Amino acid sequence: MIAERNGVPAVSIMTTAFVDAAELMARVQGVPLHPFAVIEHPIASADPEGIDDRARIAVVKAAEILAG
Amino acid sequence: MNLTSSRITTADFAAAQETYHANGWTDGLPVVPPTPDLVSACLEWALLSPEHLVGIEPVRERSITAEKLAINAVMAGCLPEHFPLVVTAFTAMLQPEFLLHGATASTGGCAVLLIVNGPIRRQLEMVATFNALGNTDRASAAVGRAIRLGLINLLDVRPGEIDRSTLGHPGKFSYCLAEDEENSPWSSLAEERLGESDVSAVTAVAAMAPRQIMNEWTSDPEQICDTISAEIRANQLHYSIWAGNYVVVLPTQLRQHFSDAGWSKADVQECVFDRARVMRGSWKQVGKGSVVKDRADREYPAMESPEELIVVAAGGPAGGFAQVIPPWLGTKSRATTVAVGACVDCEVP
Repeated sequence: MIAERNGVPAVSIMTTAFVDAAELMARVQGVPLHPFAVIEHPIASADPEGIDDRARIAVVKAAEILAG
Repeated sequence: MNLTSSRITTADFAAAQETYHANGWTDGLPVVPPTPDLVSACLEWALLSPEHLVGIEPVRERSITAEKLAINAVMAGCLPEHFPLVVTAFTAMLQPEFLLHGATASTGGCAVLLIVNGPIRRQLEMVATFNALGNTDRASAAVGRAIRLGLINLLDVRPGEIDRSTLGHPGKFSYCLAEDEENSPWSSLAEERLGESDVSAVTAVAAMAPRQIMNEWTSDPEQICDTISAEIRANQLHYSIWAGNYVVVLPTQLRQHFSDAGWSKADVQECVFDRARVMRGSWKQVGKGSVVKDRADREYPAMESPEELIVVAAGGPAGGFAQVIPPWLGTKSRATTVAVGACVDCEVP
């Protein structure tokens, strides 16, 4: 959010468990409609295939957000 | 004094409590309604104007002013003479290396441990002996609580909002400890960290819950060091393997064994530094084999250097106990020590 405010294209990625925290931060930062790329929780215990799946989803969603 | 915070009028004390609870402005316990007179008294004692900027939390870009902090101090039960400690504690927490946002938002659920040194302990009648980490004295309880209320009300560190703690621990209500300088042969924590003697100061640590050890059956400092180190190694395996600011609280009985043998705090630090370390492969013994990978033979010390171990003299006169307080998460947050800047001996202007 701060990078975007400074003119640097950026995208935030978080897992489903942190969506409400991210929305709160967006409100606090004055950008309540800031979009996020949300992936499945948790990360740490995911197997390699699970990580790959999340990464693919994150890339697609991030690209959509950056393309506007 | 020109206070600018909005004012709320309620019918009576009970209605005030309900207002605080309904708005999420408390920690679940009743609060002292922060009337303008009480807030002004805190500011006057600390010789601070209401708009005095204590610091800025960089992630939230929130300014922490003396007036807002004083409101939360009063709510927590602080007397005016307690307020300089609250200001100093927040100043310490707002140092970049403390990483306040991370430490208060993390799922890890640490609390802010405050360790108080210097003459201000005596002035505030802080108790560093019996029940040192429990309910001890008015100043310790209220100052520790003021930190939590300040985090809640100034930075939205409420459970489920900014505070993402999975479990947290009871230190989140209040976690403030005075060092027993009078009964210790060692230099105080503040003297070690600031290089000044007889200075009043607050050290802030992003800290997990205390883990108690017991060794009644030796006077050998090496063996006491072994017990402390074993507890730290257990924490490295069961919780976090990363090096950081571990705190060891040493009460009188075990402290006496160290000092009888001629050990300084630095000797304790060196001994624990040498012994508190684990091999990554040991994770296999505690159900974490999947993250050992090809690094089973890599050694992980509990501190990056001996000085990173914070040794605090505190606790009652009897009992072969000590407590190990682990860091939140390695060196992501580092302990910070700040001298009390206000003139605590001054008369209220």
